[in-house]
Amino acid sequence: MTERIAMAKAINLGLRRAMERDSKVMIMGEDVGPLGGVFRVTDSLQKDFGDSRVVDTPLAESGIIGTAIGLAYAGYRPVCEIQFDGFIFPAFDQITTQLAKARYRSGGRVKFPIVIRVPYGGGIGAVEHHSESPEALFAHTAGLRVMSPATPSDAFAMIQQAIASPDPILFFEPKARYWDKEDVDLQADDAALGLIPAPDGAVPGVAGLERARVLTSGTEVTIAAYGPTVKTALSAARVAGEEGRSIEVIDLRSISPLDIDTVATSVTKTGRLVVVHEAPTFFGAGAELAAAVTEKCFYSMQAPVLRVGGFHTPYPPANIEEEYLPSLDRVLDAVDATLAY
Amino acid sequence: MITTDTGGETPHSTVGAHEESGSPDHTVQLLSPTGDRLDDAVYSARAAHLDRAALEDLYRDMALTRRFDNEATSLQRQGELGLWPPSLGQEAAQVGSARALRPQDFVFPSYREHGVAWVRGLDMRRLLVLYRGRDHGGWDAYQHNYNVPTLVIGAHTLHATGYGMGIQRDGDIGTGDPDRDRAVVAYFGDGATSQGDVSEAMVFASAASVPVVFFCQNNQWAISVPTAKQSRIPLVHRGEGFGIPSVRVDGNDVIACYAVMDEALERAHNGGGPTFIEAVTYRMGAHTTSDDPTRYRSRAEEEHWRQRDPIARLRIHLEKSGTAPEFFDRVEAEADRLGEDTRAFCRALDKPDPESMFDHVYATSNSQIERERAWFRDYEASFDQEAQR
Amino acid sequence: MPAYQPFNLPDVGEGLTEADIVEWKVSPGDTVTVNQTIVEIETAKSLVELPSPYAGVVHEVLAEVGASVDVGSPIIVIDTDPGGEAAAPSDSGGEAETSGDVLVGYGTKAPSQARRARRHAGTTATAAPEQPPAPGPEPERLAPEPAVAAPEPASPSEAAPSSAVLAKPPVRKLAKDLGVDLSRLKGTGPGGIVTREDVNAAVENEQPERLVVYPGDDRPWLDGGTVSADGRTTRVPVRSVRRRTAEAMVASAFSAPHVTVITATDVTKTMKLVKTLREERDFADVRVTPTLIAAKALILAIRRHPEISAAWDDETQEIVYKHYINLGIAAATPRGLVVPNIKDAHRLGLHDLALALSELTTTARAGRTTPAAMTGGTVTITNIGTFGIDTGTPILNPGESAILAVGAITKRPWVHKNKVKPRWVTRLALSFDHRLVDGELGSRVLQDVAATLNDPARGLVWG
Repeated sequence: MTERIAMAKAINLGLRRAMERDSKVMIMGEDVGPLGGVFRVTDSLQKDFGDSRVVDTPLAESGIIGTAIGLAYAGYRPVCEIQFDGFIFPAFDQITTQLAKARYRSGGRVKFPIVIRVPYGGGIGAVEHHSESPEALFAHTAGLRVMSPATPSDAFAMIQQAIASPDPILFFEPKARYWDKEDVDLQADDAALGLIPAPDGAVPGVAGLERARVLTSGTEVTIAAYGPTVKTALSAARVAGEEGRSIEVIDLRSISPLDIDTVATSVTKTGRLVVVHEAPTFFGAGAELAAAVTEKCFYSMQAPVLRVGGFHTPYPPANIEEEYLPSLDRVLDAVDATLAY
Repeated sequence: MITTDTGGETPHSTVGAHEESGSPDHTVQLLSPTGDRLDDAVYSARAAHLDRAALEDLYRDMALTRRFDNEATSLQRQGELGLWPPSLGQEAAQVGSARALRPQDFVFPSYREHGVAWVRGLDMRRLLVLYRGRDHGGWDAYQHNYNVPTLVIGAHTLHATGYGMGIQRDGDIGTGDPDRDRAVVAYFGDGATSQGDVSEAMVFASAASVPVVFFCQNNQWAISVPTAKQSRIPLVHRGEGFGIPSVRVDGNDVIACYAVMDEALERAHNGGGPTFIEAVTYRMGAHTTSDDPTRYRSRAEEEHWRQRDPIARLRIHLEKSGTAPEFFDRVEAEADRLGEDTRAFCRALDKPDPESMFDHVYATSNSQIERERAWFRDYEASFDQEAQR
Repeated sequence: MPAYQPFNLPDVGEGLTEADIVEWKVSPGDTVTVNQTIVEIETAKSLVELPSPYAGVVHEVLAEVGASVDVGSPIIVIDTDPGGEAAAPSDSGGEAETSGDVLVGYGTKAPSQARRARRHAGTTATAAPEQPPAPGPEPERLAPEPAVAAPEPASPSEAAPSSAVLAKPPVRKLAKDLGVDLSRLKGTGPGGIVTREDVNAAVENEQPERLVVYPGDDRPWLDGGTVSADGRTTRVPVRSVRRRTAEAMVASAFSAPHVTVITATDVTKTMKLVKTLREERDFADVRVTPTLIAAKALILAIRRHPEISAAWDDETQEIVYKHYINLGIAAATPRGLVVPNIKDAHRLGLHDLALALSELTTTARAGRTTPAAMTGGTVTITNIGTFGIDTGTPILNPGESAILAVGAITKRPWVHKNKVKPRWVTRLALSFDHRLVDGELGSRVLQDVAATLNDPARGLVWG
């Protein structure tokens, strides 16, 4: 049975499924209880699962992640919500010095199946610290996985995959896509959700978390994007298609690790790559992808990898965020530019 | 006696506790909800000079703050602002405390201190520029010694402590010269007390006897989370734990807020170090215009606090003490004008030049920024501006 | 004059895209004041009352209760000057009262669906490649670093000194494989970029090596490379073909103990056959050479002595016998020795063998031999006679067990039918890997080749 729902609702229902599946899954964060989170992603969960499993925490991000680590030691699978991207930094210490290294430190003996949900990205007319894309900071940190869904269906599956993962995951949710609607198969079984069904009703596992997805097939230019910019990439592919160009769009889905092989296979065919993300291009995910693809596909490349993304400025005031964010025109310009080489 | 008497579904007054004045469990109150001035062994003297004219001024401050705030809330609902955090209900805590400041004192506000901004002399309308998405603050913090807001909860309390360390090094405490001695105030809320930064700010301030006042407006709700979920003791005890003289005040009593702040500033100015003030008040509106308080608190609770409205309280007192009705009419007319001015000011705010996003990132020229700025300029120039209209 | 002001549904909660109308608090004809509550809406986040931005009279309510409305759509029209004459609602004339700009309070905008109009074509990224493309925040491309040899369509001829070469990676790869020095080419692509065609043309129009006179001597020597201070030596980096050749030769010479056997034979009949075949209609489309007959002769000889088609596998300590012949042809090219091979040459008739041979040689001379064509050989012919040499001791192509050198075919005095006569004579040399081929086997193979070349009719017998 499919239902047309928004991404915020899809993640909500994915969380619900995960909580039903595994009694050790719990939710913690600021305002996740009666309010249901500031984006209503945890709506009704406290009502249905109780305030022991859905915890309104004190207002302290470092505390949220630090205690989640302790809960993981005690065998729980905390799903933490950081209210906005720009508020993750009080927890940066716990995430990078503790969570990312804890398994390594334990010699692999302790699992830290912690998901940190972070509404991220701009385009919603918000104030400072509410529109940022800090994913590269975490992708740069070994021990963490970094993922970002682009559509309601994928969000529904990916949040469940993330929770099933025995590794800590930064789960970046594109705020600007929260209210995009799509038909989502809510009855999908574990296998269809990308989970590995376990015998005897045990909690399922997960594999292939890093797989990118080719959304449109094309021969001339590859556009790689993730999270909020996938929609922009698809628009660019459509417009370019109307102009007679053949564009292949890849939704990376995972930022760490990067599915280099899928992108390289595509670039070997097209010879051209444009990477699109909202985060600043300077030292961003696109830079890593460009380097990796160049190493793999150098002699197939007809143009340098071009990046479209944010500038090396703090996220600007909302009135001019439209000019900051990678727009359809900027993506098309990059496509044109690669073709002009 | 330790009670967890803040917020929650069963609201009850947090004021009027029975401890003696000077004890942190005592809540300083100098004006009752029914508009009567109360005696307090420690603090009455500090407000004794507030005659009717002075109280009328405080009333005007609060009434104008509220009108401005309501106008801004409406403007958000009309699509003119991206967001607005209403100060509704917290006027006494803000105006009373700010009126005790000297011009040379410095304020690090959070994002809801519209009344403090007003008292400091900042054109309140300037606040709209930020919430309309034209800038992130951008005013000269030194003009009114009032910083731009910090949106990351509690982060600025450390900045306040650091500023106070600067005052110490400048020798601007304990000189006895009222024009020289300085202090710094950090305004923050109940939720912020959970942040590590706030604890660290108090550790530093206490250890080095820094001239800083931690002014915590406990408005009962950190968005949807009641103060009881941040602390099982009254917040005023937080300060005590760090060895900081602490006082709890009825945050809806503008006179008491003035008095406790006066004491804290005097301590700081004289080199006595930090003070922690818990001003017990109530966020009568939503956390921001994006919030929906009906999801987490009751109408009964809101009604309970409406009875303790800080402006109504002072108005009753003024009426009892002989303020003429014309005074209130004049203030209301002035508030109406402010509302209209605010509306017109907001609507007249144009979109800034997009290239301004590259300004002020660095003080010196930076090749990365300049390359990107040059690219952006060419890119924007490539469009047919006429065709966009 | 009446002024109809539409009120568009705002985004009341940071990024919302739509809301449902819950209840209208006003109806057409009602007088409203600024900030009077006019409607209650429900968003994905909350129930919200909207205040009127205008004072006036409600002219029209545009969204019904229960309707889902997109953010930015008009929901009500208010006449802010109800005393005046009627005018169309669209003629709002309300610029003065509303903001001209799109407001942040209108939140998430649907991504645009089409290109914005450009000022003029010349400044766009779609312009001719002579113009710098302007993708993303990549401003470096606007000011290319002078010495960087990156493909830079931005007027590279000015930006880059003559030593910099502009070429795409696949073209660089081609040039590298063909041993073409890109810096010697003049690019015909946009902005002086060396194209694939330029590289191919360079191979086809290979010029003789240039000669120059170096200081310290008055005789001309080869141009290129780094000349020593005294002008008496030139150092040239070992390029890929030469390096591969060197590596292969070293590997072969120092792993397989070589033995070479040599014989001379009268190939007059072969020369006659070549002449005859050249006049054959069936062979009109191919180039018939003595090498072709030598190749066929070698194939026939191997078929009679298949154990020579083998290789020594040092790793497994096994001899690998190959049931096929991939016949390598050593080709001297200006860039060095390449040895492409004809796959499954034993399956080919003479005509097809001739075809394969000429195609292979042409490709090699043009420098287009692919790596695949150079791997998997089983035996090789090297035609050293083209250099006028009688014979030599060829080194095995690595992984092969034998190599046949065909010397120059020249008229020599030869005892023919007991008389000394001028005959077409050549010398054949066969080197073999003595680890797996002993002298007898090697000698028999060479004798068979010689016999066939001496009398090609033997081919009928052995073929």
